[in-house]
Amino acid sequence: MADHEASKINHDNHLLLDQPLLRLPYELLRKNFRSAHFTVEKESTTLNKLLKETAKGSLDSKTSPEDVVKDLDTMIAKMRGMKRKLSTYADEETRLYKQLDARVAHLRELSDMRSVEDVKYEAWSRKRLDRLLVDYMLRHGYNTSAQALANEREMHDLVDVETFLTMSKIRESLENGSVTEALAWCNDNKKELRKLQSNLEFLLRCQQYIELLRINTQSKSVEAIAHAKKYLAPFQEQYPDEVREMAALLAHRPTNKDLPPKYRAWYSPDRWSKLASTFVEAHNKLLGLPTFPLLHTALSSGLSALKTPACHGTQKTTSSSQPGHSHTSMTTSVCPICSIELNELAKNVPYAHHSKSHLDNDLLCLPNGRVYGQAKLDEYAAKAGLAEGQVKDLVTGEVYSRAALKKVFA
Amino acid sequence: MATQVTAMEALQKELDRLNRTPGLSATVDKVDKIIEMLTSVKDQIIQSGMDTHVASMAITRTQNPIKSTFEKINDDLKGVTATQRKLGKMLDKHFPLKDLPSEHDAMADHEPLINRAISMHLLREGQFSVASTFIEETGDAVGFEHVNAVIEGQEQASMSDNYDDEAMDEDHEDENDDEDEDEDEVVSPLGVLATGSGFQQLQSLSSFQSHELEAKFSQMYTILQDIKSRNLLSAIEWARNNSVELEARGSNLEFELSRLQYVWLFKGPTVNGLPDDKFNGTAGALLYAQQNFWRFGNRYIGEIQQLANAQIYAPNLPKSPYWKIFSTETAFADVASSFTREFCSLLGLSAESPLHVAVTAGALALPLLIKYQQATRARGTEWTTTNELAFETPLPERMLYHSIFVCPVSKEQTTESNPPMMIPCGHVLAKETLQRLLKGTRFKCPYCPAEGLEKDARRIMI
Repeated sequence: MADHEASKINHDNHLLLDQPLLRLPYELLRKNFRSAHFTVEKESTTLNKLLKETAKGSLDSKTSPEDVVKDLDTMIAKMRGMKRKLSTYADEETRLYKQLDARVAHLRELSDMRSVEDVKYEAWSRKRLDRLLVDYMLRHGYNTSAQALANEREMHDLVDVETFLTMSKIRESLENGSVTEALAWCNDNKKELRKLQSNLEFLLRCQQYIELLRINTQSKSVEAIAHAKKYLAPFQEQYPDEVREMAALLAHRPTNKDLPPKYRAWYSPDRWSKLASTFVEAHNKLLGLPTFPLLHTALSSGLSALKTPACHGTQKTTSSSQPGHSHTSMTTSVCPICSIELNELAKNVPYAHHSKSHLDNDLLCLPNGRVYGQAKLDEYAAKAGLAEGQVKDLVTGEVYSRAALKKVFA
Repeated sequence: MATQVTAMEALQKELDRLNRTPGLSATVDKVDKIIEMLTSVKDQIIQSGMDTHVASMAITRTQNPIKSTFEKINDDLKGVTATQRKLGKMLDKHFPLKDLPSEHDAMADHEPLINRAISMHLLREGQFSVASTFIEETGDAVGFEHVNAVIEGQEQASMSDNYDDEAMDEDHEDENDDEDEDEDEVVSPLGVLATGSGFQQLQSLSSFQSHELEAKFSQMYTILQDIKSRNLLSAIEWARNNSVELEARGSNLEFELSRLQYVWLFKGPTVNGLPDDKFNGTAGALLYAQQNFWRFGNRYIGEIQQLANAQIYAPNLPKSPYWKIFSTETAFADVASSFTREFCSLLGLSAESPLHVAVTAGALALPLLIKYQQATRARGTEWTTTNELAFETPLPERMLYHSIFVCPVSKEQTTESNPPMMIPCGHVLAKETLQRLLKGTRFKCPYCPAEGLEKDARRIMI
């Protein structure tokens, strides 16, 4: 029930919704760094080798000074290319450092608060909501809105616009029937995807094959067979059934009448949206992002914790705001679950469990069966300018004599 | 608490270390050096007029410096790897990854409803441009259609349920029929609120889409801005236009605003910064009172007398009995929040953003929900399929909006099908509990020696 305990911030558990806040930039930082490291290793080996060969050739008088200069130009060009690549990685690193700093600062604000009644908590919680909203918008591809909100609230370092924009580009390309971008992404994350045992790459390769068969010409069929040899055969051990079905598709063309459903399914245009969601799933798993928008998690938990049997009831209660129900200014705050915004949504979750009553003091029952605390009745009577000895129902507005009230022991 | 602070500090320390470690920009600088070295070799060879000896010497001599620069780069990168690894360990130690619910998403199929809630949240937060971007991007016409559908649906539901209630009452509680009929009159779906301006605006949202709501909230923001800059006139005008609805709610807003206006004028140009004319100062306040206070009739006669009496004490108000009424320190903030509450209430909306309250409550309740889900995962039932949560989710006092009655005998929350019943001695029990206690038509109160008859127990609304 509501007591002082309930207002305390449980720091060990309060950041469940905020886990990706630090994890994501950390993962991206490592990935970025690994790519940079790879570039350095590759380019330095090449350069050292080139340098050694040229030096040796020059010493042995096999390479003319003109050729040495030519070789040097090659090396300089290589180094410039490397510098360009590394600069991109360095910029990304700077951006991620900045994000981490901002995010740790944001979380540190919370670690100084003890209670949710702290005025500072309100502001912090609002910022959290804005973060969750941006996350929601990005995951649903409402990218313009997400950016607008992030700009408006000046919280770019606290949200992952870039990550999700990259993701939604690839997702959209799949939805539009192109595998190129997704395959490039698979290539960039080969190792990690293998660790996750993701079948994304295999499915993309299958789709390419299916598209070749769909065209259904001699030359495309030859191309399809070549494609299968090169890209599908390596998966034979991992996905034997699917590979066999792919082979069988050669005989089951989309134009065939009475195509068995098993094969028809492979030609279905739905496969593209399935691929898109397989990609999103792999992407989120890879980066440690939660499966569904954090806003969903927060809402289902919150709606349920706030919901009471009265919220979808037909009776008017003092804090109900259901349309068509009159209510008074004494019903200080309208319940968020009764408010139009969330009422329909909250039908999908159970109501909160309470083991203790939560009631006003000194309850009085009016002749119409409605029960209010004495203080509220007194205050409302004064506000309504009633004569001495009268009270007014806070919900229905009926006026009764105080003598008609009955004390309630609840 | 202490551990959290330490954890955050430890994390900050790792971050600082990472920031100090030469990172990729240092590497870029070193690559620049290599380019310089190579360029200078090239220059030397060209300047020597393509001398074979110079060429072989220069290129041989540059081998080692370049190699060692690459080695330095490698050392730097190793350093970064080590610090990054430490940061990772720190995260694992102090912020171990905890699983979020991932199997069942109760919100997954309700994107339009969530979008609508977000649009309304943005509007009420005054984020009008983001809101319109969002509404456009989501094609939220559907969502706002829904507002309408929801309202109509609820009307119908509340009408038909009332009939159901009556039918049920006839079966079980003949005594209560009279009261129930009274109630129906008031419950009539188009109550005071519904006929009021606000509700009608909301109903027509489907045709006007969000624009009407946006206009409403934008009006609210303009008025709040005015109040913030100590100008009450727009607020007073709004309250006057809605005085019937406000009065029905028992709201004093119009008077509160007018009284503050009187006080503000009373303080005169040095305080309120308004022109020093006959409409300002004590005389201006009196003029304002004469022109406006008659509207309130007898209802606030006491307060109005005090305001008038203060005129006599004007030269030395701080020593007068009325000083308190004239303190405006928090008065403007107070009327601003009363105004917001009344404005939203007339629209049928809560004064705080429901989305914000729900998400805050969600963060507070989530640890318990996760714990429960982990404990019951084996059973394979989803927590959303029951009517009532199986565990308690404690929330701070201010997040309890309804009275909750838990039957002291059955320990169950009362609901519409199992309502609270008051027995003649004044004790309250859930209806099902009462039925279990019955011996024939009589029962004994579990809390006091009193006995009663079933027909004397009456349904109450807490």
